Amino acid sequence: MTERYIELHSTSAFSFLEGASQPEGLIERAVELEMPAMALLDRNGVYGSARFHTSAKRNGVHAHVGAEIAASCFGNRLMPPAWLPHQHPLEPARLPLLCESRVGYQNLCQLITRFKMREKVKCEGAATFDDLQKYSAGLVCLTGGDEGPLSAALVSGGEEAGREVVERLVRIYGRDSVYVEVQRHREREEEWSNQAAIRIAQSLKLPVLATNGVRCATAYDREVLDVFTAIRHHIDLDHAGRLLALNNRRHLRSAREMMALFRDVPGAVEQTLELSARLRFQLDDLGYEFPRYPVPDGEAMDSFLRKRVAEGVMRRYGPKNDPALLQRAKKQVDHELDLIARLGFAGYFLIVWDIVCFCKKNDILIQGRGSAANSAVCYALEITAIDPVGMELLFERFLSESRGEWPDIDLDLPSEDKREQAIQYVYQRYGELGAAMTANVISYRGKSAAREVGKALGFDQKSLGRLSSLVSQWEWRGKTDTMAHSFQNAGFDLKHPRIAKYLELCMRVQDLPRHLGQHSGGMVICQGQLDCVVPLERASMPGRTVVQWDKEDCADLGIIKVDLLGLGMMAVLKDCLELIPRHYGESIDLAQLPEDEEVYKALQLADTVGMFQVESRAQMASLPRNHPTRFYDLVVQVAIIRPGPIVGKMMHPYMRRRQKKEPVTYPHPSLEPVLKRTLGVPLFQEQLLRIAMTVANFSGAEAEELRRAVGMRRSWERMKNLEGKLRTGMTANGIDLATQENIIQNISSFALYGFPESHAASFALIAYASAYLKVKYLAAFTCAILNNQPMGFYMPAVLVKDAQRHGLRVRPIDIQVSDWACTIEHEADGSLSLRMGLGYAKGLRRQPAEAVVADRWQDGPFRSAEDLALRVPLLNRKELTLLARIGALNNLDGIAHRRDALWQVERAGKLEGPLLRQSCDWLQEDSDALPLAQMNTEERLIADYAGTGLTVGKHPMHYRRQGLQSRNVLSAVELHRCRDGQYVKTAGCVIARQRPGTAKGFIFISMEDETGIANVIVTPDLYERERLTVVRSKFLSVEGILQNQDGVIHIKATRLTALESDAMEMYACNPTVGNVRNTGPGMLNSA
Amino acid sequence: MSGYPIDDAGDLYACLYAKEFPAQSALRLRPELRERAVIILEGDPPLETACSFNAKARHLGVARGMTRVELDTFSSLIVLPRSRMEELSAHAAMLECACGFSPRVEDCSNGDAFLCVIDIAGTEKLFGPPPVLVRELLHRAQILGVSASAAIAGNFHAAICLARGSTARIAPMAPGKEDEALAPLPLKVLDISSEHTETFALWGIRTLGALAALPEKELIGRLGQEGRRLRQLARGELPHHFVPYEAAFALEERMELDSPVEQLESLLFVLGVMLEQLILRAAARVLALASVTTALTLEGGSVHLRTVRPALPTNERQLWIKLLHLDLEAHPPQAAVVALTLTAEPGNTSKVQLGLFSPQLPEPMRLDVTLARIRAIVGDEYVGSPVLRDTRKPDSFKLEPFQVPSTRSSTLRTVGPLAAMRQLRPPERVSVALRYRQPASFVFRDCRYEVEHAYGPWLAEGDWWQRESWAVEQWDLIARSGAPSGDCTMLCCCLVRDLKDASWKMVMLYD
Repeated sequence: MTERYIELHSTSAFSFLEGASQPEGLIERAVELEMPAMALLDRNGVYGSARFHTSAKRNGVHAHVGAEIAASCFGNRLMPPAWLPHQHPLEPARLPLLCESRVGYQNLCQLITRFKMREKVKCEGAATFDDLQKYSAGLVCLTGGDEGPLSAALVSGGEEAGREVVERLVRIYGRDSVYVEVQRHREREEEWSNQAAIRIAQSLKLPVLATNGVRCATAYDREVLDVFTAIRHHIDLDHAGRLLALNNRRHLRSAREMMALFRDVPGAVEQTLELSARLRFQLDDLGYEFPRYPVPDGEAMDSFLRKRVAEGVMRRYGPKNDPALLQRAKKQVDHELDLIARLGFAGYFLIVWDIVCFCKKNDILIQGRGSAANSAVCYALEITAIDPVGMELLFERFLSESRGEWPDIDLDLPSEDKREQAIQYVYQRYGELGAAMTANVISYRGKSAAREVGKALGFDQKSLGRLSSLVSQWEWRGKTDTMAHSFQNAGFDLKHPRIAKYLELCMRVQDLPRHLGQHSGGMVICQGQLDCVVPLERASMPGRTVVQWDKEDCADLGIIKVDLLGLGMMAVLKDCLELIPRHYGESIDLAQLPEDEEVYKALQLADTVGMFQVESRAQMASLPRNHPTRFYDLVVQVAIIRPGPIVGKMMHPYMRRRQKKEPVTYPHPSLEPVLKRTLGVPLFQEQLLRIAMTVANFSGAEAEELRRAVGMRRSWERMKNLEGKLRTGMTANGIDLATQENIIQNISSFALYGFPESHAASFALIAYASAYLKVKYLAAFTCAILNNQPMGFYMPAVLVKDAQRHGLRVRPIDIQVSDWACTIEHEADGSLSLRMGLGYAKGLRRQPAEAVVADRWQDGPFRSAEDLALRVPLLNRKELTLLARIGALNNLDGIAHRRDALWQVERAGKLEGPLLRQSCDWLQEDSDALPLAQMNTEERLIADYAGTGLTVGKHPMHYRRQGLQSRNVLSAVELHRCRDGQYVKTAGCVIARQRPGTAKGFIFISMEDETGIANVIVTPDLYERERLTVVRSKFLSVEGILQNQDGVIHIKATRLTALESDAMEMYACNPTVGNVRNTGPGMLNSA
Repeated sequence: MSGYPIDDAGDLYACLYAKEFPAQSALRLRPELRERAVIILEGDPPLETACSFNAKARHLGVARGMTRVELDTFSSLIVLPRSRMEELSAHAAMLECACGFSPRVEDCSNGDAFLCVIDIAGTEKLFGPPPVLVRELLHRAQILGVSASAAIAGNFHAAICLARGSTARIAPMAPGKEDEALAPLPLKVLDISSEHTETFALWGIRTLGALAALPEKELIGRLGQEGRRLRQLARGELPHHFVPYEAAFALEERMELDSPVEQLESLLFVLGVMLEQLILRAAARVLALASVTTALTLEGGSVHLRTVRPALPTNERQLWIKLLHLDLEAHPPQAAVVALTLTAEPGNTSKVQLGLFSPQLPEPMRLDVTLARIRAIVGDEYVGSPVLRDTRKPDSFKLEPFQVPSTRSSTLRTVGPLAAMRQLRPPERVSVALRYRQPASFVFRDCRYEVEHAYGPWLAEGDWWQRESWAVEQWDLIARSGAPSGDCTMLCCCLVRDLKDASWKMVMLYD
């Protein structure tokens, strides 16, 4: 091929809504066009560069790095002339910069960081002349296409102004590093600028460079680009006018096309090859270094770590009084420390240790999770809470010499304030430019695509709502769960051309990035300045900064991160630790919780609503079969209800063996010690490693390599080598061929989905603690979990009902007693009850609520609605009405029921002037005149659910029970008395719907009534017939065959109907898996 | 009074109510559509929304405010545009029907419903007892093709509430006991603000009866005087100052000619006389003529209709004659005229305040005459100021009526040397021969040209999401004609190829 061209100015979809193709898509097209190299210049960042680089490397394309930088010093970018009607907003011109060397890349990152961080909030920002000047070394500058400064200057000030701009660029970047860019998109106006640019280049003796200012991979993608333009400008396509592209020429073009296009500009295409050869920098060469931990003089990081670990070993193992264990522990940490020293990771461990120390010092509960729990060093440093030596966990799963990558430690922290405190500590310790959160790229998914594309095409909110509520969000997707099917279900006619286009565009924008968010907890820390490695920018959350890459990009480029994850249950545990001593007079040590029969009993009965990790429907369905009686059973329980074991067909053999319905066997007798704990069924990744080590004499590192090779689908070649080695090893150990086959089968089916035992153990620890606290200290646990919503699997309404069924008295919000948070009250009979907090009143602002509490504290209870309104002027009329409506004012004098309160606050919210208020008798109302009728049950339920999201009164189903009984509809508790195979009818409120990926399209619905929870199975056929009932109905009546297997009750539905009722409709506005925030209480008893 | 005691003040009112009036007005004239689901759209395309529909459409799930795109998702729906004219005539017919029962009729219609109240006190001798009157009233409305409901009450507002709140065609009547009849009605018959609706909902007040039972002083303390008004409405006690409907002041003159007239001059003489009459009548009310419609009844029975509307209302007879003359000259009747009717719309007399420093403008009336002349030559749709549309589509503009600019254009562009060109409107078809996908030669105005230089193509395409997507390719060409005489003419031009139908057109000639 004689014609060669390299595209040096292209943007991807990571120029958020200004490009229409993924970086991978651009590379794919570049490969098709046999382009040897390509540059990506996204808007104000290198957001897509990591993915561009990774993909390019895989495809043998040389990826150049650069960015289009908004520069305010060059004025505004080209706009249509004022006499033409247009809606172009003013935007600064953008300067395309390419990185020639690492210095150039570092300058680009610092430049972007500088102007992004200059802003107080998250926004695009723009560089000044000084910024450009300061960070110019190592960068090559192009003059840009229509977004660039040259075009704008030529149009506004003619050739003279254009020449000035180029001369200015030459002064900043040097004569060798400025290229006059020409682009040809078959636009008439563009050509005039091009001719002027060529004349300027000739007069200044600068090279002319042809590019295509690419915004999408193929011409066809122009449609997506136009849709994005409409979305970006919050307008629909019909009204977008000149904002849209004039034609579809901004795609990646072949060398032949470019040569033909620029035949009259000698050297412009050839120049791309020369410039490409100059750009030596690639992202492999980042120069990233993890920070060193500052140690006292005379200490090295390794020796300092060794000392801290030695102290930790004594602290952890000393009290156990087991010399043999202590000995083993010492041996293990020595082994680990040697490896850490060899790999040079001491700094990393010390930094994590430092964060843990900070948390402990500041009373923040923290616990490591994941494979770090395999490390005795982590245990000794109190990073993790699981004793890997005592539990015989395998260190190699965490760290091995051959892996060549950083270890990964995830830390769980209580969510919100406490976690923020830890994050701010890291910022403070490593500086604003030394640490940042990893980004989270928000991409278009079914719903968001349907909504935004629909808006661009001019569909109204209502149809969009109808559609997006139907776009399937299930984990499992059947053949009919396509966008097309959702469109049809929403009543759209797919033959209608605009709707067909809508559907097509929705599919095409899937997975394209929309904007950048921040990852929930991943922090990147860097030795020296992080802004030399990747640009930083402000996050929308105050005080936070993010890097421009997400965690996968960071991992691909070998940047280490520490995950500071928020775990709601940690906050619950923390709150319980405060509440229990205060209200029960007992102290609790989470590290020393006793094994308790009552707790295991609750777990065996699957009475686990609110408990960490074991509360889901699937967990509940398997708990009675697993019948946990000790801590390790819980470790298995946490690990087994996962896609891995279920798909790998491990779950059922384990359960059968557990119930003694099947003998425990081992693939080979030598594997008995490895698999004994899990009854011969391999469940954990560590077991896989040990199997390889036992049967084929693999070293720990080799075994870990094997696990990873199986895990990565692409590494067939490596897998083949390792498999050969495995077989040789097994043959050497005298294992017959059939057994070898069986073992290999086991390894390969499982390795894809396995779960680290250490991680399961860490989670099981929290699961047991939550179970223990719920069983033993229900009031404290419920109070804590309600105060830390949203979290877990169920909504507050379900949690409250569950607590009530367990005998906890839950009291409604009361303006005379409630605090902002839920609290515990002591009853006259010495029992404890829960008082709902003002925070559960939906729409009540925190500040006035706290003013209520403070005023009550200072001046005593409120005397009347008027008194309340007078004393807390911060409460507005809406809030007073809300409080009256949910019954929170029922304990004020002169108020008998909610409507009385509503009548009074309507007056209290409209006070006359202070002068009149005191004296005028004729303004005084006859206080007996309370003309409004009391709310009926239905109205109270509606008020409760609308105002608080839950009711502390009777369950809505209770009020229907009589009618249901007459139709032989059974309650949840009555179902337990039915025999297997019996045809039954039941009804309840849907609290969860799931279509697990492993269940072949079956849907599981959990329904709650006043007696408990019933589980319903919906077959794919029935779902097809009753799709709307399944997806939309909040209250269901179900008929079908009852299945009672080992005490686990399911109804296999044959008929589903919706139960209609206003009050019920209000209940559980969104009863899918997950939570609704700030759903609060009501009161039935007081009205 | 046959058990129909009118109230203390001697009042008795009948209310006539027809909902979904835009749809009913449309269906009145299209009986064949009455069995189909019909919806009326209002607004400018493409942003029309549903404003009214019949019961069949409601059963399909259609709702007010739905957009055209959304309505496209329903099959078997008849979509009609809203016609104010049809509504006006239906409205007039209904009022006329009401006026047949009493001279005192108050029109309370809003955009979506017809509503009028008839003062029927003392009509018993003429029409029988009120129930008989109401039946007759509804019967007559039915004949007009409008399905309506009615109510009778001693209080003006009570009659309205009863008509709006009742599900029966004739609301149950209990004159003298309006409060009892009103009590079960829902609050929505009162047009309460959304804020008060919410408050009443919270209070559990759902009917007029419950509202009526609230203590007055306390209610005022909470909702102010509006509370008092609502309570009175609910009790059927709110007094009303009756404002009877009056027939509009109509300016109309008609003349039957003794013999058919063909000559415009003769016709203008008659027109002049009639105009004088109209101007006199308008001037008597300190009004001026805003528009004049001439309806010429022609031999054979057809009617030739023309309307002239100057920029400002005027009573200048000469001007009117000139305008009518020009208009009729431009649009002459196709046969001899046997009768003519002149109707005029009154408007306020024109006064324009001119500023001392404002630019000299042509006198409005003279401008009107000039415009009328231009219109007569080029046609109505080609007069106005062209305004560019915000679209990439080449040559896309709309015409807007001339307007005196309120501010002077502030930017004076410095114009450098620009090429002059002549735009051909409409573009002329050209046949083009291509070589290597470039125009090589073409035939334009019967002359063949060989292309010497071709620049382009410039590509523009858009509206890909619509049925009417477009794509064009422009070429700037320098071509030379090889005339047989040996004369050689050079042509610099712009050719456009429509990529949808592959046709070539000449759009511009460069000077």
